[in-house]
Amino acid sequence: MRDAGEQWPSDAELLRRHVAGDNEAFGELFRRHRDRLWAVALRTVCDPEEAADALQDAMVSAFRRAADFRGDSAVTTWLHRIVVNASLDRLRRRAARPAVPAEEQTFEALVAQDGDPAHATDTRLDVDAALRILPPQQRAALVVVDMLGFSVADAAVILDISTGTVKSRCARARAKLLPHVAHLRGNRSAGESVSPAQGGDP
Amino acid sequence: MRGQMTHPDTDVLADLRAGLVTRRRAAMITAHLADCARCAALADELAGVSALLAAVPAPAMPDRMAQRLDTVLAAEVAHRNESERARGVSPRERATRPRRTGNGGFRWISPRVLAPAGAVVVLVAAGGYFLSSHGSSPQMEGASSGAAPATAAQPANGDTSAPKAAAGTVGGTSPRSQRMSPAEFTFVVSPVDFAAGSLTQQLEADLRVPRTTHAATATVKACVQRVAGSAAVLRVESAHYQGQPVTVVVTRASQGDLVQLAGPGCSATGSHVLATRTVPAGILGP
Repeated sequence: MRDAGEQWPSDAELLRRHVAGDNEAFGELFRRHRDRLWAVALRTVCDPEEAADALQDAMVSAFRRAADFRGDSAVTTWLHRIVVNASLDRLRRRAARPAVPAEEQTFEALVAQDGDPAHATDTRLDVDAALRILPPQQRAALVVVDMLGFSVADAAVILDISTGTVKSRCARARAKLLPHVAHLRGNRSAGESVSPAQGGDP
Repeated sequence: MRGQMTHPDTDVLADLRAGLVTRRRAAMITAHLADCARCAALADELAGVSALLAAVPAPAMPDRMAQRLDTVLAAEVAHRNESERARGVSPRERATRPRRTGNGGFRWISPRVLAPAGAVVVLVAAGGYFLSSHGSSPQMEGASSGAAPATAAQPANGDTSAPKAAAGTVGGTSPRSQRMSPAEFTFVVSPVDFAAGSLTQQLEADLRVPRTTHAATATVKACVQRVAGSAAVLRVESAHYQGQPVTVVVTRASQGDLVQLAGPGCSATGSHVLATRTVPAGILGP
């Protein structure tokens, strides 16, 4: 398998090959972005099983609807849009039926895997927990803009809303989140970087 | 004085940061922040929220999730090739892989030249000569349609090495699992009513249980053919999922076995798959 960072063939080229009948192209494209797509699904849906289903739905949908991609946006934007739609769709369906208990434990077990430094995992779990208090639409906007770093303009495409709505949803979400994450910022300003691996830039 | 304004709440400060307040109001709030340490600290904390979120590492996709997606993707690819075949479109005709266009060393026989019924001649790229075989044997199915270049010339006796060589060299077609006719699958009836929340665990337990084989109805056979596509069918169960009757179709995939739960609407024309899971290969009873 190719390295995720490799730029050639480009995303658009892979998508074109897929539409032309290449059996491997879509897999390569999807593998290239799957960690970010997984993150957006997991954080929007807040439940690993549902997120898994949402991501799978999105992948199948993107596979089948690739010919509809017109190139108005980047391929990644298009992929994220499909994943966010599938995630919000899952949440709507879940809202329509009673909650299934015992999700909490699975969630934490699943997100706490891999080799993160413990404090980074703790921060992530706290942030993930805080995100749950947000209404899904606000959460999706915040995840796309603040966590994945998309521009407001791209986020508007991904979320299919105006840039003004992106801004106001993000603003509402940040204000609501503040009391729940203030203690995490406290740790950080005490001299400890939240993510030594990534060194996030404000 | 400018201090006359009341302390802005967090929402207002968030709007300010997002550029959602008018210039005049922004000037007022900014002036207030310069005077009011409490509000300035709040604005500072708010600014930190975005920075904090940006710094949280993204969770890597768990391996079993990656495997599941690979499996589902493989099923999608197989399904696409299958339906194109059904429409008479060869995947090779649509393919535009660079390695194909770059072949200048020998002449391509157009895939549009059709073979006479019952005979298929496979072009082997490496040597630039023909190997031919009867296309009617079941093992030939994948290769003859996957490696499309075929011509009316030279129908001859089979050479069993031809399909493999052609699939590997001409088209880069991924090897297919041997196809099982729908009549051959093991069909059992399971008393389990699967639930969405515990589906994977329930399936892993249920599929280990050996059960009496029954004869599948025509509806089940049509459904299985639709759901499985060209994948090898390992077992089919009649069971329930969230209270409604489902057909559980287990097929072999590259990593693990793919389990698809098809709803009552499953037929030859629509799969009506309600849920999909991957289970470790080999958990099925003999």
